Amino acid sequence: MNTSDTLLVILAMAVITYATRAGGLWVVGFMPMSPRLEAFLRYLAGSVLVALVVPATVRGEGAAFVAVGATLVSVVLLRRALLAMAIGVLAAALYRRYTGM
Amino acid sequence: MATPFHPGGGRATLTLAGVWRGARAMLPVLIPVFVFGAAFGIAARGAGLEGWAASLMSALVFAGASQFAALDLWHSPVPWVPLLLATFAINARHLLLGASLRMLTHGLSAWKRYAAMIVLSDLNWAALIAAEARGERDLGYMVGGGLAMWVVWLAATVIGAEAGDVTLADLQRYGLDLVLVVFFTTTLVGLYRKRIDDLPWLVAGLAALAAVWWLPTNWHVLVGGLAGGLAGLVQHGRRT
Repeated sequence: MNTSDTLLVILAMAVITYATRAGGLWVVGFMPMSPRLEAFLRYLAGSVLVALVVPATVRGEGAAFVAVGATLVSVVLLRRALLAMAIGVLAAALYRRYTGM
Repeated sequence: MATPFHPGGGRATLTLAGVWRGARAMLPVLIPVFVFGAAFGIAARGAGLEGWAASLMSALVFAGASQFAALDLWHSPVPWVPLLLATFAINARHLLLGASLRMLTHGLSAWKRYAAMIVLSDLNWAALIAAEARGERDLGYMVGGGLAMWVVWLAATVIGAEAGDVTLADLQRYGLDLVLVVFFTTTLVGLYRKRIDDLPWLVAGLAALAAVWWLPTNWHVLVGGLAGGLAGLVQHGRRT
């Protein structure tokens, strides 16, 4: 790819990506704020996180299950997010080491 | 784990103190951001991009998954339609992230709101949502996290493109490829509200899985998020 094409592609990607970043806030700005909309947006936030975690766990197979499971248990018991993350990652590393996967 | 509800919506702020808080909160996830950035720099050189082009892309696009996807389509002549469609599809989830920030931009001027969205990304968004459950009302928290990620992402790309020998296997050995998903997991637990979140989250998870199986790649976050949000809305309607 020559230089001008390279620049054009990168600029076009940047514009499209910014449109997705600003677009959601822009669209929702036209809706009058109401308890219903507020409830919807709050469910939306949690649901987006679920939609990030669940497929990544299922597709990630063994190690991802171990990591997410260990993190879940740790954060519920210990209530320390950072510590729970470290435990999850460590558990996955050990799982891979001993199963060779 | 209760989430404070803001009936009527208090005003949000955007302050330097908030930026600083958000940047510090992002420290633990900057390691995988660095490693993925370096991996992108290496992959970009492998796909035929020059170092400056890889770095420029990281600086201006700042969206890892779509940048990797673009490398697969880096041909001459430029496959404009697939390339730009892939960019949109992969980044369409940002639409939901942005929409969910409505309350946290309330009362801010338009230019502040839309300038903040330049650095909107899954990680700093999740960090802000988690902090909001603890009472954070400063959009700067997201901006600070985003700026920290941007600096690291760009620096890592430059390093990877110029002289890199990090591979995905190195990451996997230490479980670092899973840091992002465990980060999202802890955020999720912090947001959880007993009973009311059960049904919407179940719907979100099932819809996301269905999208993974039956739809083209990268639509699952959008589909799952919307399905869960709508399920929540239906549930909300029945309760009131």
